[in-house]
Amino acid sequence: MNYWKAVFAIAKKDVISELRNREIISSVLLFAVLTLIIFHFAFTADQKTILSLAPGMLWVAFAFSGVLSINRAFISEKEDNCMEGLLASPVSRDAIFLGKAIGSIVFMLIIEIVVFPVFTLLYNVSVINPIVILVTLLATIGFVSIGILFSALAVNTRAREMVLPILFLPTVVPLIIAAVSATSVILDGGKFSDITQYMLIIVAFDIIFVTVPFILFRYIVEE
Amino acid sequence: MRRRTLIAFGISAVMIIVALVMVFIVCPTEATMGNIQRIFYFHVPVAWNAFFSFFVTFVFGIVYLKTRNPKYDFIAESSAKIGLVFATLILLTGMIWAKPIWGVWWTWDARLTSSLVMWLIYLAYFIIRSYISEEEKKYRFGSIIGIVGFIDIPIVALSIQLAPTTHPKAMIFNDGLHGTMLLTLLLSIAAMFAVYFLFMFLYYDLRTDEYEIARMKKRLLKEND
Amino acid sequence: MDNLGYLFAAYTLIWIGLCVLVFDIMRKQKKNRQEIETLKDKIEK
Repeated sequence: MNYWKAVFAIAKKDVISELRNREIISSVLLFAVLTLIIFHFAFTADQKTILSLAPGMLWVAFAFSGVLSINRAFISEKEDNCMEGLLASPVSRDAIFLGKAIGSIVFMLIIEIVVFPVFTLLYNVSVINPIVILVTLLATIGFVSIGILFSALAVNTRAREMVLPILFLPTVVPLIIAAVSATSVILDGGKFSDITQYMLIIVAFDIIFVTVPFILFRYIVEE
Repeated sequence: MRRRTLIAFGISAVMIIVALVMVFIVCPTEATMGNIQRIFYFHVPVAWNAFFSFFVTFVFGIVYLKTRNPKYDFIAESSAKIGLVFATLILLTGMIWAKPIWGVWWTWDARLTSSLVMWLIYLAYFIIRSYISEEEKKYRFGSIIGIVGFIDIPIVALSIQLAPTTHPKAMIFNDGLHGTMLLTLLLSIAAMFAVYFLFMFLYYDLRTDEYEIARMKKRLLKEND
Repeated sequence: MDNLGYLFAAYTLIWIGLCVLVFDIMRKQKKNRQEIETLKDKIEK
């Protein structure tokens, strides 16, 4: 089996089994929407304030529902003892990492596809903009990649679900800062050239935190 | 106490006294901030030291993953511990400095914020280690967090600096340091460096003793069976 | 503009903190050494 075929087979397996039982995605989506609704009760604000808060609200929703979804990436494998099977198969460890990451990126994209229109609908503020979507897509890559590494680590500790957020959230601070700032600038009517520095941070984060987990993943799933 | 620890203790004590004399007696009072500026001579070396500690954790994390010798994780873990202590001191002295100068204990200034994020990452390092029962796995996962955490620090600092902020930037000396002030700073850095090695020896010996105890206990259990 | 109180607080915090830490480690070390000795005796028996 060639390398990329294996990668996509793993990603496809995750997506298909998820689509079949909708175990994670339905609750994660509901959670993401609930976050947006809680914001309404937390800050009763006028249109103008909402516009300035929008990027932050979006990323809080993405970050927390992302943690929830990425956390599940290895828990299901662990519970049904599938991890051993996966490790025993003639697939390299970094192919497993890429497959898992691509699968989780798909889930993350589904969350984003739902959150964007729901936010626009609920708050009557349009956040759908090609550049904002590009920023979100780019940020998702690094976000999920480092998340998958930590998720594999977390599932092998006693505290499991507790571990991912305390490690993951401080690590992705740069992505959240850059994505939120870039989105703010664009929603304020800025042009693409106004956000180059934030884009550079996001791209640098993506490159670094796809490469590093790619190398380190094999040290987590050793046994 | 081992000999090298005693030597490190002696050297640090002498260097600290020299540095303190420089800071409080020899060094002139800075013009705009007054005496409070003397915090600078320890605040900055402590910050450098924390960064250096995490760098050592990063390097020995890689060495551990390559060699699988527990000794290297002991060095990495001890260094992270020192780093966390120093990072805590950066935050505390930073706050004490911020209060009289900026009027508040905390401001989301770029450097304070980066230090806070760094502190949180290494706090997570220790919390997560405590959640792992198997020794070997503890070393392995510790190394991984140490590597990722250190790579993250410069990106965090860079992104925080770029974010739009209404707060003042850390304003130390625009025209650079000179003469006595620079000398005092360098001496303080050297003193903090000596303190780093003192703590490294202390923590490392402590860790090897703990390892030895665990090993002997295991052996006793086996013999009793 | 002197704020000597804050300056004093910062320096005492650093040095008392570090001293307490050194003594705490040394206390633990002493305890560990004793434990190692007793364990050694047990193993040799």
